[in-house]
Amino acid sequence: MAQEIERGAVVADVENRPEGPRTDYEVGLESLSQWQLAWRKFKKHRLALIGLGILIALVVIAIAGPIVMPFRFDSIARPDQIVYQGRGPSLSHPFGETGGLQRDVLLLVVNGARWSLLIGFSSMAIGVVIGTIIGSIAGYAGGAVDNILMRVVDVMLSLPILFVILVAARFFAGARDNIWTIIIIFGLFGWMGVARLVRSLFLSIREREFVEAARAVGVRDRRIIFKHILPNALSPIVVAASLIVAGNIIGEAFVSFLGYGVNPITPTWGNVLSSALTFIPLGNWWWPFFPGFAIILTVLAVNFIGDGLRDAFDPRSRA
Amino acid sequence: MTKYVIRRIVQAIPVLFGVSIVVYGILLSAPGGPTARFANNPRITNEQREEFKKAWGLDQPIPVQYCRWLGVCNPDGQGLGVFIGPKGLPNFLPGVLSGGTNGVLHGDFGYSIDSGESVMGRITRAALPTFILASFALVIWITIAVLMGVVAAVKRNSWFDQVATIFAYVGFAMPTFWLGIMLIFIFSGPGLNILPAGGMTETRLSPPFGSNEYWAYFGKQPLAALADIGRHLILPVITLVVVNIAGDSRFVRASMLEALGQDYVRTAKAKGLSNRSVTFKHALRNAMLPVVTNIGLEIPFLFTGALVTESIFSWPGIGKLTIDATRGFDYPVLMGVLLITATLVVLANLFADIAYAFVDPRIKY
Repeated sequence: MAQEIERGAVVADVENRPEGPRTDYEVGLESLSQWQLAWRKFKKHRLALIGLGILIALVVIAIAGPIVMPFRFDSIARPDQIVYQGRGPSLSHPFGETGGLQRDVLLLVVNGARWSLLIGFSSMAIGVVIGTIIGSIAGYAGGAVDNILMRVVDVMLSLPILFVILVAARFFAGARDNIWTIIIIFGLFGWMGVARLVRSLFLSIREREFVEAARAVGVRDRRIIFKHILPNALSPIVVAASLIVAGNIIGEAFVSFLGYGVNPITPTWGNVLSSALTFIPLGNWWWPFFPGFAIILTVLAVNFIGDGLRDAFDPRSRA
Repeated sequence: MTKYVIRRIVQAIPVLFGVSIVVYGILLSAPGGPTARFANNPRITNEQREEFKKAWGLDQPIPVQYCRWLGVCNPDGQGLGVFIGPKGLPNFLPGVLSGGTNGVLHGDFGYSIDSGESVMGRITRAALPTFILASFALVIWITIAVLMGVVAAVKRNSWFDQVATIFAYVGFAMPTFWLGIMLIFIFSGPGLNILPAGGMTETRLSPPFGSNEYWAYFGKQPLAALADIGRHLILPVITLVVVNIAGDSRFVRASMLEALGQDYVRTAKAKGLSNRSVTFKHALRNAMLPVVTNIGLEIPFLFTGALVTESIFSWPGIGKLTIDATRGFDYPVLMGVLLITATLVVLANLFADIAYAFVDPRIKY
C-alpha cells in the first residue's frame, strides 16, 4: 500500500548508536513508510499522546466497565431507601447518586461510555464510508456526475443537520432497542463534509503523474481508485473522521437529551443528563455534571488526537 | 464580476429546489402522516378521516401535492391549466402578477396542526425573540472572539495565547446544553437563585411575550419590561457566547497569524513603521477579510437561532418552535422552518461568496 508516497526517508540511526569510542558504527539506512513517519511525528505531539491515553482509558472503561459494574434497568433500590433528593458525592459513591431512583452516577457514566462511544465511532464509520464513496465517484468521474453529486451535498449542507437528525430520530427511532437506528441516522446525515474533502483530494491526485502512468499501462479504473488514489487520500480522511466522532457524540447527547434519541432505559451520557433536568430545582449538580464532564473529556481527547494526526500527516511539519 | 454573480445565483436555484424536495421528502416519509393524530381517537370514524384527507388535498398523488405545496400548481386548475394562475400567467410568479396565493413560493406555508394559526404567523411571532437573543449573543461573541484572536496572534505563545487556546479547546468540546444546564444549576438553583432559569419574561409580572396584552403592558412600563427581558437574556447569552467564541477566536487567530507572516508586513517593519501601525493597519485589515465573510455565514443564525440554547432556556423563539413542532408532529411548521432556514443558509453563502469576490481583487471569477 502507498507505494507512491514512500519517501524512503534516509535516517541515520544516531539515537541507537552503540556506546563507546567506536567510530565505525553503521549508518542505518531504513526506509520508513508513510505511517511509520506519521507515528514518529505523532509521538512528539504531547497533547495528542495525552488524548490517545484518555481515549484508550475510555475504551477500556467502555469495554470492561459494564462487566465490573453491571447496569440493570430493573434493579432499583428498595422502596424504603428511596428519597426524592439525590445524594452528593461521597466515598462510596464518588460521583454521587441521582434523585428519584437513587442510581449511582458513576455506574451510569461508566455504562454510558459504552453506548456513547459506540454511537460516536460507528456512526462516524458509516458517514466516512458513504462520504468516501460519493466523494471518490464525484472526484474521479468529474463532469455531470460530479456536478450532480456536489449539488446534492450543497442541498444537504444547507439544511440544519442537527434539526433534520432530530426530526428523523423522532420519526423513525420509536422502538425499544433503537440504538442502531440512531447510529444509522447519524451516519446518513454525517457524510457531506467527507464527500467534499475526498472529492477535492481525488481531483488533485488523479492529475498526478503516477496515476497517469498507471492509466497509460492500462490499469483498470477500480484498481486506480483503490490502489493508487485512495491510499494517498487516507490521511486527511482520518483527520476529518476524528472531528466527526466528536460531533456525533455531542449530537447524540443532544438528541437523547431532548428525548428522541436512544431509549431512556439505555444509559447514554445524553440520557443521564436529560433525566437530571427535572432535578435542577433541588440543586443536584453532580447528576448532570459528571456525564457532561465525560462528554467533554472524550471530545477533547478525540480533538487532540485529530490535531496530532493533522500535524503528523502534514509533510511540511518535521519531526 | 456580473457574470460571476449571475452564475452563482443560477447555481443556487437547483440547490433551493433540492432543499424543497428533501424537506418535502423527509416529512412525507414520516410514519403515520397528518392523520396520525386521529389514529387512536375512537370518536373519529374512517369516513371522517377520508373527509379530512379530501378537504386538505391529501388524496391527490404525491407529485400533485408537492406541486401545490410549492406553489407552482394552482389547485383550482384543470389539466395543464394547473400551472396557470388565476390571472392567466404562470402560477409560480409572485401573487401580484399571477394571482396565485397557494404554496411556499407565495409565502403560504399552510396552517399549524397544533394551533390552527398560519405557519407564517407563528414563525414571524417567534422570529422577534430569536432575533433579540441571537443578535445580542452574536455581537458579543464576535467582539470577544476578534479581540481574543488578534491578541493571541500578536502575542503568540504568551500566557494569554495559551489560556485562549485551552479555552478554545474546552469550549469546542463542551456540549451547549450541558453548559446551559450547569449555568441554570449555578445561577438559578437553590444556592444563588439570582437569575431566572428560563423563559423570556417573568410570567407573574407580565402577559406572555408577543401577545397584544404584552405590548399594552410594554407601553405602560417600558423600562421594567426591558429590564425583565434583560435579566432573562443573561444566561442564554453567556451560553451562546462561550460556546461560539471557541471556534471563531481560533479562526481569527489563524487568519491574523497568516497576515502577520506576509511579505508586506515584513516590508512595513523594514521601513521602520511602528509595531502598532504594522499590526493594526497592515496585518489586521487584511486578516479581517476572511473573518468578515465568515461572519456573513453566521447571519442566518439571527433567524434560525439556537435550537439547543432556546430549548434549554425555553426561550420562545424559532428554536423552541422547532422543538415543539417536532414533539407534536406539526408538519407544516417543521417544513416552514426547515425551508426558510435552508433558504437563508443558501442566500448567506451566496452573499458571502459575492462579497468576498468583491472585496478581494485577487479572486478570479
